[in-house]
Amino acid sequence: MTPQASDAGRLDSKAPGGPIETRWDRHRFDMKLVNPANKRKFHVLVVGTGLAGASAAASLAELGYRVSVFCIQDSPRRAHSIAAQGGINAAKNYPNDGDSIYRLFYDTIKGGDFRARESNVYRLAQVSNNIIDQCAAQGVPFAREYGGHLSNRSFGGAQVSRTFYARGQTGQQLLLGAYSAMMRQVGLGKIKMFPRREMLDLVKVEGVARGIVCRNLVTGEYERYAGDAVVLATGGYGNVFYLSTNAKACNVTASWRAHKHGAFFANPCYTQIHPTCIPVSGDHQSKLTLMSESLRNDGRVWVPLEKGDTRKPNDIPEEERDYYLERRYPAFGNLVPRDVASRAAKERCDAGYGVGATGFAVYLDFRDAIARDGEDAIRARYGNLFQMYERITGEDPYRVPMRIYPASHYTMGGLWVDYNLESTIPGLFVLGEANFSDHGANRLGASALMQGLADGYFVIPYTIGGHFNARALPAVSTDAPQFQASETMARERTDKLLAVGGKRSINSFHRALGEIVWNKCGMARNEQGLTSAIEDIRALRAEFWENVRVPGDGGYLNQSLEHAGRVADFLEFAELLVSDALDRTESCGGHFREESQTEEGEAARKDDEFSYVAAWEFQGVGEKAKLHKEELTFEYVKPSQRSYK
Amino acid sequence: MSAGSGHDTMRITLKIWRQAGPDAKGGMVTYTLDTVSPDMSFLEMLDVLNEELLAKGEEPVAFEHDCREGICGACSLVVDGIPHGPQSETTVCQLHMRHYADGATIHIEPWRANAFPIVRDLIVDRSAFDRIIAAGGFVSVATGAPQDANATPIGGEIAELAMDAAACIGCGACVAACPNASAMLFTAAKVSHLALLPQGKVERERRALAMVGAMDAEGFGNCTNHFECMGACPKGISVENIARMNREYLRATLVSRDLG
Amino acid sequence: MLRWIANALTSSVGRKIVLGLTGLLLVGFLFEHLHGNLKLYEGDGEAFVDYVNWLQGYGWLLRVAEFGLLGLFVAHIVIALRLTLENREARRTGYVVRSSTGKKTAASASMFVTGALLIAFLIKHLLDFRFHHEFFDDPSGEVREHLASPGTAAIYILAALVLGLHLSHGFRSAFQSIGASHPKLDPILEKLGPLVAALLALGFASFPVYFLFFGGK
Repeated sequence: MTPQASDAGRLDSKAPGGPIETRWDRHRFDMKLVNPANKRKFHVLVVGTGLAGASAAASLAELGYRVSVFCIQDSPRRAHSIAAQGGINAAKNYPNDGDSIYRLFYDTIKGGDFRARESNVYRLAQVSNNIIDQCAAQGVPFAREYGGHLSNRSFGGAQVSRTFYARGQTGQQLLLGAYSAMMRQVGLGKIKMFPRREMLDLVKVEGVARGIVCRNLVTGEYERYAGDAVVLATGGYGNVFYLSTNAKACNVTASWRAHKHGAFFANPCYTQIHPTCIPVSGDHQSKLTLMSESLRNDGRVWVPLEKGDTRKPNDIPEEERDYYLERRYPAFGNLVPRDVASRAAKERCDAGYGVGATGFAVYLDFRDAIARDGEDAIRARYGNLFQMYERITGEDPYRVPMRIYPASHYTMGGLWVDYNLESTIPGLFVLGEANFSDHGANRLGASALMQGLADGYFVIPYTIGGHFNARALPAVSTDAPQFQASETMARERTDKLLAVGGKRSINSFHRALGEIVWNKCGMARNEQGLTSAIEDIRALRAEFWENVRVPGDGGYLNQSLEHAGRVADFLEFAELLVSDALDRTESCGGHFREESQTEEGEAARKDDEFSYVAAWEFQGVGEKAKLHKEELTFEYVKPSQRSYK
Repeated sequence: MSAGSGHDTMRITLKIWRQAGPDAKGGMVTYTLDTVSPDMSFLEMLDVLNEELLAKGEEPVAFEHDCREGICGACSLVVDGIPHGPQSETTVCQLHMRHYADGATIHIEPWRANAFPIVRDLIVDRSAFDRIIAAGGFVSVATGAPQDANATPIGGEIAELAMDAAACIGCGACVAACPNASAMLFTAAKVSHLALLPQGKVERERRALAMVGAMDAEGFGNCTNHFECMGACPKGISVENIARMNREYLRATLVSRDLG
Repeated sequence: MLRWIANALTSSVGRKIVLGLTGLLLVGFLFEHLHGNLKLYEGDGEAFVDYVNWLQGYGWLLRVAEFGLLGLFVAHIVIALRLTLENREARRTGYVVRSSTGKKTAASASMFVTGALLIAFLIKHLLDFRFHHEFFDDPSGEVREHLASPGTAAIYILAALVLGLHLSHGFRSAFQSIGASHPKLDPILEKLGPLVAALLALGFASFPVYFLFFGGK
């Protein structure tokens, strides 16, 4: 039971060596199996019911483990995976266009700007096909051709059609598939479901994750749950930006509390800004809405050639439009990866070419596609997205080009995990967006669903057995002092929030934090901004604990109190995010340091200095975390400068 | 990243159901907002109200919301007597204030059904839906067992029909809108989705009987074919699915070898 | 042994199917009833008398059929009553402001009321004729006598209209309940429902009108 971090500060990824094609097979073979009859002796606590959590819970219960599942929503079906629109990748090569597991692996490593672990990514590509089979068997209504076979489309950054989809609601359908599999186990009594619970602390006994403390959001009571392993599938931290495409309840609390107990946090500065979101309309804005980037398959992105052109878009003649993605990246055009498309939009807007009332938007125009394929064809492809756009903006995108702007969307960073998806705390496994594992510095479109389900359906069911076999897990009681200590900590923190009794609203703190992080650690970052951001965050955090106003008390459903707790954690976490961005003086993927760019303004990586995973060890709030490096070696895909020209 | 919208602001009067807890006595409380922007979503308008209440030292209005993009199914407000408000096929989180006139009065109430007890203010407990799904809203396939996804072709038309039904977001607007507080549209959407697909046909009898049984046990009302559910459904799910469920149920009753 | 039937008959969907089926069978009965009544217009009521005698000629078989009919009515009424009571119970606290999404109709909203009125009428109707001994001595004359009275005629006209309202929702609704819905069928049913309702309502209303205003001539 030695922690993975050795004295040298190096991390053992436990990734097997040898031929990459057989690594996962060999690793699975090398793990001892848990006897079927013994499985029911092990109790797994799964926190979060998105794609990763629900699929893990279902699969573990099917194997015979006892499983308890926790979510903050009223129903596990509402986890934010549900909002993913575009699709899920798999290397099926159904369209016969040259796809393969190796190509999906290659594209993901390259798309991640050579900052992901090869072994993990290869495994992801391998199981991608099983995921499609699994979901089809569950009755996920994937789009089909008239002959009855599955449809594919191409998706941002890929030159093959490997994306499976269910209208513009792929995330919803995959999540409902996993949810239904999980509810089946609930019905069979194999899973106990605890909705409206927020995990407030991780409980370690003898160094091993053995339980959690939750707050029952309805009654306000603190509840202790003991188990033999804890699986965190609590999503990303995109709401640190306040305005993001994440659901309002998405938060970093579970991950952060685990981090405080010794789980290393990896690459927090890798955040993804999605290029096709509906722009901000005013100060009241509470969240941003993403539209699937599949829109870029048919829509053309442009801004006026002239600065500050206030004409209506349809009045601007063709020769006075700047299709800047097609101009800068002739090979990929409008389909360049997300980070590239986002930065290009920011560059145009910062230079004064932005459109709309705020000047922070670019056009996404379907005029040519409608002329080419007809309005009906476009409606069939994107009808629901167009409808969504019209509802929010009051404009008809069939007649007027959409206005889009990038928004925070996904976080590649997360708790550090090894090849088994186990964190630096033994027995604590982290799945899906909550971990850092597979996307490197930038995630390709339609890969989040793939990773969440890969982790839940096809990785954790095998690797969790390794934990049960390797460690003695004596029975623990929720009366143990460790549980008492955790509950006391959670209670005290809540009481402290309620006791501040200040003047300023929780939301205004969250918004202020978001502005700091977005402006200084958003699409482009520099040393000066990042340094000042740390000061700003510390000042804001200090003010928060002196001046926040949390109404009511903790004895009932108090949404303000829930939000306050999450903002308090974001205020601590944000400092780590910014510190990581400051530390990594190269540009890579979603992390663009202005000091590190090519002459043409593209991101410039520094492989000799930064080809590592930055895994941070908590040292105290306001203290600089301790850096541990996991060196990344590339045996198969040799790092090269990404070029989409 | 703030932006001035340039639009005028509106004055809106709100009458909102406030109830401190499941057993507390509730009632409508009137609030007035003077600075509503037409570009705000309905929930952002409530955010503004809650900020004002907080500033005054009052308890904010509790309401359910999460994704705010019309897919998670959390938001659940009856606006002027209609679940999700006046705009058809639109969740209340996607309703925007530009649909209201300056000076309008808006009534906001929670979903009303015995099977959806009130938790606080506008929040109700919809766990009954989860129990209905747990009773049979799935295909009994364990992870790892499947064949290749293309081994069973499914006609495009059937796949589309199944998708139409599967689009349900489980918000409960159908129950809230039904004069009988019936959950038929919700249950039928899942029964239909799975009955249409070859993967789901295998256990169609068991599913229809079990899901209808679970639905009845929760204390929802019965369907009397007003079709108000379809009118309120933010995803436009058709009552054709209810007919299909009835058919499935009849078939299951006659064909199933389960003697009860 | 018959638990499965009991289960079906106590479930929401099962009862709904029975409600729809009995409703449709009752519509069938109403068409035959109208067909019989139309014989009042043939000859000087002789055809009607022949029809009554022909029916009576079935003797005990007619009794069986009548009990069957009674069964249909009782099943339809008992289920409707129970469903209605359950439906009221399913929402003990109602809305302060109630509005419709526009799908509900006056007919659909008033099924219970129109049904209750029809039961009341049915009892009167049975007492007027079926359990009125003189009826079988002079069927045509009795009908003429009853329906020539303005009060009774008004009730019969009203009842026919109430029946029309009930069926304008009920007919289409019954098909939905038994699961008969299809893009090809539904538009036909949309039209057929009001047509059937109007046909039966006008058909039955024609008799009191005929006897009250035209004296049966």
